[in-house]
Amino acid sequence: MAISIPVEHVLYLAALLFLLGLVGVLVRRNVIFLLMSLEVMMNAAGLAFVAAGAKWGQPDGQIMFMFILALAAAEVAVALGLVLQLSRRFETLDVDAADELSG
Amino acid sequence: MEHLWLVPALPLLGFLVLFLTEGRLPDRVVAVVGAGSVGLAALVALFVGYQFTQSGVASHPQVLWTWMAVGSFAPTVTLHLDSLSLVMMGVVTGVGFLIHLYATGYMWKDHEEPRGYSRFFAYMNLFVFAMLMLVLGDNLLVLFLGWEGVGLCSYLLIGFYHRDGANGYAARKAFVVTRVGDTALALGLFLLFWEVGTLHIQDALDQAAALDKTTVTVICLLLLGGAVGKSAQVPLQTWLPDAMAGPTPVSALIHAATMVTAGVYLIARMQGLYLESADARHVVALVGLVTLLVSSFTALAQTDIKRILAYSTMSQIGYMFMALGVGAWSAAIFHLMTHAFFKALLFLAAGSVILAMHHEQDIFKMGGLRKKLPVPFWSMAIGSLGLMAFPFTSGFFSKDAILLTAWTEAGWLYWGGGVLAAGLTALYTVRMMVITFWGETKTEPHDASHGGFSRTNMWLPLVALCALSIGGGWFGIGVLDDTLGALIEVDSHFSPVALATMAMPILMIGLGWLIFTGRINVQGLVDSAVGRGLRRFFAGGWGFDWVYDRVFVGPFVWFAKANKGDFVDWTYRLTAGVVRATHYVAALTQSGRLRWYAANMAAGLVVLLLFVAGWL
Amino acid sequence: MNADLVLFWVPAAIAVFSTALVITRKNASRALVYLVISLLAVAVVFFVLGAPFAAALEVVVYAGAIVVLFLFVVMMLNLGRSSVLREGGWLRPNMWVLPGILAFVLLIVMFHVFAGTQAKTAGTEVPPSAVGRALFGPYLLAVELAGFLLLAALVGAYHLGRRYLEERRAVVEGTGEGVDAGGDGGR
Repeated sequence: MAISIPVEHVLYLAALLFLLGLVGVLVRRNVIFLLMSLEVMMNAAGLAFVAAGAKWGQPDGQIMFMFILALAAAEVAVALGLVLQLSRRFETLDVDAADELSG
Repeated sequence: MEHLWLVPALPLLGFLVLFLTEGRLPDRVVAVVGAGSVGLAALVALFVGYQFTQSGVASHPQVLWTWMAVGSFAPTVTLHLDSLSLVMMGVVTGVGFLIHLYATGYMWKDHEEPRGYSRFFAYMNLFVFAMLMLVLGDNLLVLFLGWEGVGLCSYLLIGFYHRDGANGYAARKAFVVTRVGDTALALGLFLLFWEVGTLHIQDALDQAAALDKTTVTVICLLLLGGAVGKSAQVPLQTWLPDAMAGPTPVSALIHAATMVTAGVYLIARMQGLYLESADARHVVALVGLVTLLVSSFTALAQTDIKRILAYSTMSQIGYMFMALGVGAWSAAIFHLMTHAFFKALLFLAAGSVILAMHHEQDIFKMGGLRKKLPVPFWSMAIGSLGLMAFPFTSGFFSKDAILLTAWTEAGWLYWGGGVLAAGLTALYTVRMMVITFWGETKTEPHDASHGGFSRTNMWLPLVALCALSIGGGWFGIGVLDDTLGALIEVDSHFSPVALATMAMPILMIGLGWLIFTGRINVQGLVDSAVGRGLRRFFAGGWGFDWVYDRVFVGPFVWFAKANKGDFVDWTYRLTAGVVRATHYVAALTQSGRLRWYAANMAAGLVVLLLFVAGWL
Repeated sequence: MNADLVLFWVPAAIAVFSTALVITRKNASRALVYLVISLLAVAVVFFVLGAPFAAALEVVVYAGAIVVLFLFVVMMLNLGRSSVLREGGWLRPNMWVLPGILAFVLLIVMFHVFAGTQAKTAGTEVPPSAVGRALFGPYLLAVELAGFLLLAALVGAYHLGRRYLEERRAVVEGTGEGVDAGGDGGR
């Protein structure tokens, strides 16, 4: 099933999702929510790629989406490992607690 | 003669071995490498010298390589062997080897640090190499390289006992004072190159006759400046007595036998230039005469045995300068050679005494050592006879040649000054000998030799140098005739002048003996106001140090201190301040908070997109 | 507004709405459920756009694997009522102001930029076979690199997580109170 819709509409959707993710990253202090928001942002980027692929009727957009998917999987695996470390060392999930690199 | 390059190469090899192993070799191996390299060099020098005298050629150049090629300026590193450099090479390697051999015993367990023995011989070998480059170079650039090389080694060895700050000060003083002379020398070389377009010694001398007389005089005087600094002549003589802070073998090798005579060698080497300028020669003779008298009087009032010897070195080099100035070229080099023999002997014997006295150098704390230290006593006695020019010792022939030439060529002033100084020499030498070796024992000597190894090593050079001090004069110096011209024939060795010259030391030895053993009481004269004032004046080296401190050192230090926070410093401080302020501002952005960074990235994205949209 | 656009905007609206809920929830488990809904909605959008393979991957990998991973961690950390209360303390209303303004400005700019494109999607499906051929044809090297990335992530995640577990075991068994986390990393 495939229908023809204006590309900019898909991009509007991608932008909306991306910005919602960004707001989540900026607002939430809980590192779990922060990571979820990151996933949303990546997903939005993938959506933009798929939209571009659909525009030209080529598989490249979907392939880019798959790479983003692989990246997200890798990122989330490492990041959740770090979350475990964070909660052990600082006894909290507050990302602002880990500010030891403060100049 | 193709083995000539080995002579400087062997000490260089010794230096490299000792330098690169950084004191990891056992001390016995160090001794073999350090003294052996110079000993082998001496053997090669002997062999080369024999070949050279047999071949009958006037000079033998050996080109090693081209140093650099800048247009027409393409100096080669060439070893140049003629009779002058042969004599110098023989002195440097021969006397140098004996002193190295002595030092293997003297420095044994003497050093403050574990690697001191190796360090000492590394410097000594480097010195011998540099000195050989100085005397063998056929090019003023190579000569200058050796000149600065020996200066460096002198600095390193004066400050050898570097834990004592005073020794470091003495080393710096020697370096800075000679640097004054070296600057003049460098200027002289520049001027010479400007005038003749080459620094090759023979080429430059060949063109000297065609030069303007004033220019030649200026060049000669500038070269003389370098020679005066290196050879511790008035007015740049103040560093030599302080240089006695180094180990005694260093004083013997560098500050008596070889390096300080480099100035004499330089002037003799540039003979062709000086022959063109009577004024310059006059200045050379005057410098020699003044130094001769100043240092002889000063030596009379010193109490430190090494300082006495240092001042006597200055006075003997004064003789050499005077000889160069009055035209007794060969005699100057002759005296250089005999002086190397007896002064090295005196220093080494004094070193043995000092070692037995637990490094006490004040002669008034010694006394009565004649029976207790027979070998140093006899060595010192023989060396003293050479120094005093006692008839038929080595020093007699050379000094006689100088004084008689002065009489025939330059008149009574130089002859009179020389004879007066010869008398003073006899006086202060007798004073040193009598106070040290006669009278009552004030410090009990101890056996400072560390077993048979060092005892033999210290004993052998003394005996060899004794033989040279007595018999060295019989070598004559005819070998120099084809380079510097023959000794000037004096009318008769039995003219009144010659007899007076010969008699002066003997008379003064007798007078000195009577005074210093107390048979003639001069206490009243010495203790009078004039006597005390004179003694203080002489003991302070005629106040040269005092004047220099106030005229040069004091104002310079004051200016340096006053200028500490100058304009240049302000630029540095401003730079540092700006960096620090920028760092402070930049550090403010480093909150360490992830979300703050993310927000900044987003803000950056906004700006970027505004650009893309064309709204900015 | 034609039927095609409705078909697109309905799942799109669901995605936006549930995503907004994700970033505002206080309870992590609920937020994850909304995240799944959002991802499924996006999968529908992919399907609509003619990318069935991407849609399937979105469901399998994102909604399936990644979110489940999140759930594991949330369960391990045992985020209960107290964490929800703390979340309320962290989420003060005034914190939304600055990010909101920033995001709004970005939204305006992006919409402005996108509005310039007057193109439609091709309306043709790109089948999984085409994707597969491209993936193992011209993109083969990139696939290999992605494999390396995943391997590195695997090693890294194992490393980070294992020390945590060993530390816990040591504390539980009382054999090594307060073992330094870096101490046994090389074993």
